[in-house]
Amino acid sequence: MDFLLQLITDPVAFWNSHTLLISQIGINGILASSMFVVLYSGQLSLAAPGFMAIGAYTAVLMDLYLHTPLALNIATGTLLAGVVGVVVGLPVLRLRGVFLAIATIGFIEALSLGVILNLPITGEGLGLKNPNADPLGGIYIVLVSMAVVVFLLWRLTKGRLGFAWSAIRQDELAALSQGIDVARYKLIAFVVSAILAGFAGGLESHLNFFVDPNEYGVPRTVQVLTFAVLGGSGNVFGPVVGALFLTTLPYVFQQAGDYIGVVSGVILILVIIFRPQGIVGRGGFAFVKPGWWPRAQVRASSTG
Amino acid sequence: MGQQILNAIFIGSIYALFAVGYTLVFGVLDILNLAHSAVFMLGAAVTYTLVVNHGQSFWVACAVGIVVAALMGLVIEYVCLRPLRRRQAPPIAALISTIGLALIIVAAIEQGRPGTLFAWLWLDGANPVTMPPGSFPNPTWHVAGLTLEASKLAIIPISIALMLLLGYVMRFTQVGRGLRAVAENPRAARLMGIDVDRMISLTLIISSALGGLAGILFGVALGDISPYIGRDSVEVRGLAVIVLGGMGSIPGAVLGGYLLGFIEVLAVVLLGSNVRAGVAFAALFLMLVLRPQGLFGAQLREKI
Amino acid sequence: MRRVGLVSVLVAAVIAGACGSAGGGGTTTNTYNGKTIKLGAVLSITGAGGVYGPQSRDGMNLAVDQINKAGGVNGATIALTVKDDASDKAQSATVAQTMIQSDQDLALLGPTLSNSAVAVHPLAESLKTPILAVSTTGINIVPNCNFPNTTPCKYVFRDSLGEETAIPDNIKSYAADAHPATGVLLVAQDDKFSSDGGKIVQDTVGTYNINLLKTIKFNKAEADLSPYVTQAVQLHPDVIFITSLGGIPAKIMTEARKQGWQGQFLGGNGFNTATVSKNAGAAGLGARSASAWYLGNSFPSNAEFVTAFKTAYGHDPDQFAAQGFAAIKIIADAAKRANLTFSDLPGDRDKLRSAMETVNIQTPLGPFQFTSNHDVKQTVWIIKMDGSGGFTLVHEIKAS
Repeated sequence: MDFLLQLITDPVAFWNSHTLLISQIGINGILASSMFVVLYSGQLSLAAPGFMAIGAYTAVLMDLYLHTPLALNIATGTLLAGVVGVVVGLPVLRLRGVFLAIATIGFIEALSLGVILNLPITGEGLGLKNPNADPLGGIYIVLVSMAVVVFLLWRLTKGRLGFAWSAIRQDELAALSQGIDVARYKLIAFVVSAILAGFAGGLESHLNFFVDPNEYGVPRTVQVLTFAVLGGSGNVFGPVVGALFLTTLPYVFQQAGDYIGVVSGVILILVIIFRPQGIVGRGGFAFVKPGWWPRAQVRASSTG
Repeated sequence: MGQQILNAIFIGSIYALFAVGYTLVFGVLDILNLAHSAVFMLGAAVTYTLVVNHGQSFWVACAVGIVVAALMGLVIEYVCLRPLRRRQAPPIAALISTIGLALIIVAAIEQGRPGTLFAWLWLDGANPVTMPPGSFPNPTWHVAGLTLEASKLAIIPISIALMLLLGYVMRFTQVGRGLRAVAENPRAARLMGIDVDRMISLTLIISSALGGLAGILFGVALGDISPYIGRDSVEVRGLAVIVLGGMGSIPGAVLGGYLLGFIEVLAVVLLGSNVRAGVAFAALFLMLVLRPQGLFGAQLREKI
Repeated sequence: MRRVGLVSVLVAAVIAGACGSAGGGGTTTNTYNGKTIKLGAVLSITGAGGVYGPQSRDGMNLAVDQINKAGGVNGATIALTVKDDASDKAQSATVAQTMIQSDQDLALLGPTLSNSAVAVHPLAESLKTPILAVSTTGINIVPNCNFPNTTPCKYVFRDSLGEETAIPDNIKSYAADAHPATGVLLVAQDDKFSSDGGKIVQDTVGTYNINLLKTIKFNKAEADLSPYVTQAVQLHPDVIFITSLGGIPAKIMTEARKQGWQGQFLGGNGFNTATVSKNAGAAGLGARSASAWYLGNSFPSNAEFVTAFKTAYGHDPDQFAAQGFAAIKIIADAAKRANLTFSDLPGDRDKLRSAMETVNIQTPLGPFQFTSNHDVKQTVWIIKMDGSGGFTLVHEIKAS
C-alpha cells in the first residue's frame, strides 16, 4: 500500500519516480481505445498487438537506418499499420463474432511467428535494440497523445460514425436495411483501430531500449481485451479506466505479488458476471444482445 | 523422413484429442471455452504431483488426473457459464469468464511451491518438470531406422478409441441425442423435456476429461510439464484445428488435428524450422477467409 | 517511502550521535554505525526465468544475513529488497525505476534474464545507479550495455561469467579431449541468451576444426521439439550444441537419446543448474558445459558457503546462488571502502561505483576482480552432468 500512500502524500515525487509506470498507463490507454473502436462497432477483433508490432518495428527501423526524426518515424509506423489494416480488414469483413476473433488471432500469430521472426532486418527472434529510446522523457508525448486520442474518439462517437457503429453493433441487418453502408463503416472502424494500435506501438518502442517480438502475441491481446471488459466498452472512457486500473494493479497489491494471476482472473470473472457493463458502463451489457453474434451458423451435418 | 511422419502423427493425435473437447463445447454451447487449455495442463500437473510428491502409482495418478479435469469442467460450468446463461449474457461474456478461470488455474499451479498456499499441488513453481524415468513403463524399439516409443505410440489407439466412443455416444445413445438437441436449439430441447442444464454440464465434463487426458499424454510422452504447456502449445493451435476442421464438427476436429500436425512437421522439413508456427496460422487465416466453415462445417447461412 | 526513509535516517543519526562517541576517535566507521545500506534486487522469481531467480535470491539473502550478523558494513546494516519481474521486460524496467527513484536504493542487482537486462541496464545507467548483474551472461551486457552505441556504461557491472568466455573454453576443452569432427547447433531463435550462445558457437567451432553441419532454429515456447531433434540426429554429428535455458536442454537431450543418438552434448550456462541435470536424468549423462562455479571447488570461502547454504535452505546451492552471494559480498566490500555519507544519494551512488571497480576479494567463485570492462575475471570449471541430478568436475581452467 505504500504505492497509494505516496501518491496521496507526495504526488510530485510519485510523478518523478513512476514515470515509466505512468507512460505505460498512457500507452495502455491508447491501446484500450483501439479496442474500444472495434468493440463499439460490434467487431471482436483481437488484432491490436499485430498492428502495434508494425508501428513499433517501423519506427525503430527508420530511426536506426534512416535517422529520421521521431515524429516522422512514429507517423510512418502508424500509417503503415493503417495500410495493413485495410489489407487485413477487407477479407475478414464478412466474418462475425468468434470467427473474426480467431482470424485476427491467426493474423497476429502469423505476423509475429511467420514474418517478424524470420526477417533478418527485424533482428529475428532477438528483437531490435533501440539505443535512442527515452523512457523517462517520453511521458509527456504519451500523455498528450492519449488525451488527444480519447478526445477525438469521443467526438467521433457523438457524430455520424458513432451512430453508424452503434447501429451496426446492435443489429447489423437492421442497420443495413436502414441504408447504412455496413461494410464501409466496419472497415473504417477496423482501420481506425489499426491506426491507433500502430500509434501505441510506435510510442511504446520509443520508451523501451528494445523491441521484443514476444510482446505481440496472444497474451498481449488478452490483456488489451481485459482493459476493455473491465472498464466497459459502452463509451470511450471505459477502456481507458480499465487500462489504468489493471496496469497499476500489480503495484498497488505488491503484497499479493505472486498471486497477481489469481487476482486478475477473479476480477475478470466477477466483473463479467456481476457488472458486465464494466466500471464505467451504464446498466446492462455494454454490447447488446446476441443479434450481432449469430448462433447456429456452422453445424456439421452430423456431430457423430 | 519416416521418423518425421511419426512425429507428425504423435503431435497430431494430441492436437486432435484436445480439439475434440474444444469443438464439442462450441457445438453444443456456441461458446469458445478458453479454460480448456488450462484443464489440459491441469491433467498433466495433477498426474505429476501425485506420482512425485504423493507417491502414488502412475496409473492411479492418471485416473485421478482425468477425474480432476472432469471436475474442473463442472467448475467451468457452475462458475463461468451458468451465471451468465441465467443473465442471458452474449457469448463473448463466457469467452471472457473462461479466460479469467484459465488465468486462475495457471497462476495457482505456478505458485505451487512448498510453503505457499497451493503447496499440495506443487510442480516446481514456474519450472518445467518431467515424469521421473521409471515411473511408467516405456519400452522403446528401433525398427527399420525408426524410433518407436511406447508412450508415444499409445497415444494413437487411445485417441482413436476415444473419438470413436464419443461418436458412438453422440449418434446412438439417448444422451447423445439430448446433446445434439441442445446443440440445435436449447429452447426447443427444454420444451421437449430435456434437462438442458444437465446436458451442458455433461458436455463440459466430457470435454474437460478429454482435454485433461490429452494433457497427460502430452506431458508423459513429450516429457514436458509446466504451468504454461496449455497456453504455449495447444491453446492457439487448438483454435487453428477447429477452424480447419469446422467448428462444432468432431470428425473435423480429428482430421484437423492430424492435418495441422502434418503441416507443421512438413514446414519444418521443407522450409526450415523458422516458419513452423507461422505457417499454421497463415493456414488458419486463409481458411477463415476462403472457407469459414472449415472442411466439415455446414455452409454458413446468413440469417434473414 | 522517501519520508519514512528520511525519518529513520535522522533518528538513527541522532542515536548514533548520542552513543557512537563511546567507541573512541572520530573515524569513518562511526558515520556508518546504525545506518542502512538499501539494496534492491529485481529478479525473475516467476515466469521463464523462474528457474534461476530464486537461487540468486537465496544466495543474496544468505550473504546479507551473514554480513549483518557479523556486525554489518562498518556497523551499517544491509537491507535487501527482492522484487519479482515475472520474466517480463516491461515489468523489470518499471520495478527497477521504482527501486531507484522511489525506494531510493543505493544500488541494484539483476535482472535475471538477458532479455530484461537490455531494458533495465541502460535505464540504471541513465539514472546513474550502480547495477550488478548476477546471472546475465549474454553478449553486450558489459561494457556496451546500450549496443549499438559504443559508449561504455559506467554503472553496469556483472559477476556472472559471460558466454563469450564459457562457451569457447568448453569447446576447446572437449576438442582437446576427443577431437570431434562434426556438430549440429540447436538454438532458440527468439531468446537472446540462446541466440547469443549460438553465435558464439558458430564463431568458435572453426578454430577447433569442428564442421558445423547445420544450425537448427526453433522457438522457445514450442513444447514439441521432436522434429528438430530428428533433423539433427539424422545428420549423425559428433556433437550437438545446445545453448538454451529452462526446460529445453533436458527435452532435447532426452529426445535425442531416445532416437538413438550416442554423441556428445555441449552446452552453455543453461546447463548449470540442478533442475536441468535432474530433468535430463540419464539422457544427460556426460553433457558438458563451462561453469563459473562448482559445488566441490577448493577455494577457501566456498566450503563455508556451501555448508551455510545447506543449513539455511536444505539443498545444495548452484552457480546462480553462488553468484548472488558473491554479488552481495562485492557490494558490501565496495560500500565499506566508499566513504558513504548516507545523506547524498547521487554522490554515494557514484562513490560506490568507483569503489566497485577496485574490488578484490575472496568469494565462493574464487578470488574475484572486475576487468576494466566491468566484466568477470575468474577460474572456469568444465563440468559434466552425472546422470542423476548433479555434476562432476572435468577440468579446471585458471584465469589468465
